[in-house]
Amino acid sequence: MRFLIAIKDTTPESKNILHIGVKIANGFSADLSVIFVGKKSSAFIEGDVALARRSLAVWNIHHPGVEILKWAFESIKEFGFLSNNYTEFDPANLIEESGRIRMVLPQSSGEKIRLLLREGDLLNELHKETQYRDYELAIIGNPFKKRMTHKLIQFLDTSVFIIKNINPTWNYKILLCVDDSAATKRAIIFGAIISRQFDAPIHAITVSKTKKFGKGYRNASRWVQKYLRMQKLPHTISMITGRPTEVFLREASTDHIIVMGKSTGGELKQFFKGSKPIHTAQKAKSPILLVKP
Amino acid sequence: MYWLPYPDSISTRGYRALILAIMVVSLIITEPVPLPAIAILIAVLEVSFRIAPANEVAKSYMSDSVFFIMGSLMMAVAIIHQGLDTRLALAIIHYTGNKIHNIVFGFVSISALLASFVGVHTVVALMLPVGLTLVRYCSARQPVPNITALLLFSIAYGSTIGSIGTPSGGARNAIMVEFIRSNSDNGVTLSYFHWIIMTYPMVLIGILTTAFLLRTTFKPEYLSLDTAIRKLKVQVAHKGRLSAKEILTIGIFVFTFLCWVLLNERIGMGIIALAGAFLYMAAGLIEWKDINKNTNWGVILLFAGAISLGVQMKNAGTAVWIGQGIIGLTGGLMEHFEVVRYIVVIILTTVMSNVMNSAGAVAVLGPITLNMGGHPLFMGLTTAIASSFSFLSAVAAPACLIIYSSGLVKVTDFLKAGWRVTIMSILTLLAMYYLYWPLVVGFTNFK
Repeated sequence: MRFLIAIKDTTPESKNILHIGVKIANGFSADLSVIFVGKKSSAFIEGDVALARRSLAVWNIHHPGVEILKWAFESIKEFGFLSNNYTEFDPANLIEESGRIRMVLPQSSGEKIRLLLREGDLLNELHKETQYRDYELAIIGNPFKKRMTHKLIQFLDTSVFIIKNINPTWNYKILLCVDDSAATKRAIIFGAIISRQFDAPIHAITVSKTKKFGKGYRNASRWVQKYLRMQKLPHTISMITGRPTEVFLREASTDHIIVMGKSTGGELKQFFKGSKPIHTAQKAKSPILLVKP
Repeated sequence: MYWLPYPDSISTRGYRALILAIMVVSLIITEPVPLPAIAILIAVLEVSFRIAPANEVAKSYMSDSVFFIMGSLMMAVAIIHQGLDTRLALAIIHYTGNKIHNIVFGFVSISALLASFVGVHTVVALMLPVGLTLVRYCSARQPVPNITALLLFSIAYGSTIGSIGTPSGGARNAIMVEFIRSNSDNGVTLSYFHWIIMTYPMVLIGILTTAFLLRTTFKPEYLSLDTAIRKLKVQVAHKGRLSAKEILTIGIFVFTFLCWVLLNERIGMGIIALAGAFLYMAAGLIEWKDINKNTNWGVILLFAGAISLGVQMKNAGTAVWIGQGIIGLTGGLMEHFEVVRYIVVIILTTVMSNVMNSAGAVAVLGPITLNMGGHPLFMGLTTAIASSFSFLSAVAAPACLIIYSSGLVKVTDFLKAGWRVTIMSILTLLAMYYLYWPLVVGFTNFK
């Protein structure tokens, strides 16, 4: 499995995102890539900027993005996820290839950590990266703009974990949103692994707009109960009537990590109208994981 | 637009060239396709719209100014390759000492003087490591945002101001020289040396005023950079005497410069720049693969396309039509008050340079401003000079974008310092037009 964490700066918020991302990757025993996407210069002066950077590198002054990768390196080391063989960040180990710069480091658990630097439009570059290495999960901070959240969920061909308003001192619970969609089973499995990693109890809910719950919904709810019991994870199960997005948001409040399937509806319909997971992600005040089928 | 009715005052060719110009400017600003693709589109549409036959379009793509842009970019790669930045660092320290005010003046003046001859991109690439190293040593104990801004803006603004000093200071200058010369019916001649005489006083005034304005905008945290200078000296001291390669690098550049001054009218600036690039390769100072890797060929192609568009706008009568239209819009003010004409040109060029690119703006606007009445030499120089007034935003001038990409200065810093330098530059330019240029034209044989 391969996970990708996107960081935008060196603020405490980014450090929290990195910490949670690294912990999750560890729970899944996944290879981890940490990416920073810097702004690209106008094509008019791309060559001039490249010349200036070459000249700066001789003086040991690196691209601002390299400084952020260095910060990520130090943070991962501080969290204890880096192999003890690597004590210093050495820009000489950065390799330029396929429009990106990368450094590969061994994780303490044996998997690899990659530090990546790309330049350009955030969405485009994340899309290119996920295409390039076939990632399972992309972990990102809160995009703030609703439209950006929509685009990231729709155009990244991976599961997406949006880490919003994270408070590392809180004891989060997992809110599993269960329905009859194709992605539900995977979402449940992901939720269970995260629950174990964070020692978080699970609250699984199935929401129907009418009082009558269809066969698919009832089966899904039964399956999640069976699975969680088998995994010996603390959990509660409810079936609630109401508008799904509103119920999810109400139940999640700010102290749950929402886990749900990523919609597979028509691209055009999603683009113009959105979907249940997209609307939930846009309005949620807590972290949300959307799992692709 | 292509099928819409158009005024009788413009020809079919002229109208189509106008459509193409609008299309190209929009594409350059929004960049929905790679810039070199826009250059290709210009050629395709010039022929498809029957603005000019294929052969004529091909010829307009490869003018002397395109050779100049190509040659100077290749020379920049060769010069930077030799690592002359450490020499510069030593020279700056030697002359300025450790007082921050002297260092700022040294940075502005050296950046300006060098940029006049070798181009902004080369100077920024050479000076930025020196500036950032000083910043790094200064901020070892605590952040020094004002000293950082002072040093980086000294490089960016200094080199931008210096770039107006000679035709080789920037692509826009070379393009304007080409336009002025190709407008042979106006009887104006403008050699490399003439350009220096006309513009260099403005560079000198610019150096003094910019150093002063930057010092008043960003109050430095320390007045003396004792420790930082000492550490910088230690870092660069190991270089020893000038090596044979460094002497050869400087020698070839001085030779190229002398050729620009003495031979440019006979063989053209572009050919001389290419000869300089050839000498660097022939002397083994740089390999072709380094030049090939580090030269932005796409931008050269785009400049070629923009110049071609400018030429076709002139030939198809679009430039005259727009020029007369602008005169008409001012309601005769330009006829009665000459200064209005120059203010309009300055505003038009500054805005276009800020949203597009200075060389691109001159390529498209040059033929128009040369057809807006007034003294063609003054109008041409005003357009070329005003296109460098892109101090207000981080993205308009290459030097500004390069220092911004260091991540150490904020967008608001550009506004804070930029408005002062922009106003000062506009006033200096108007003073040049009123007081200095008529004197030069009156006392010399310039036309």
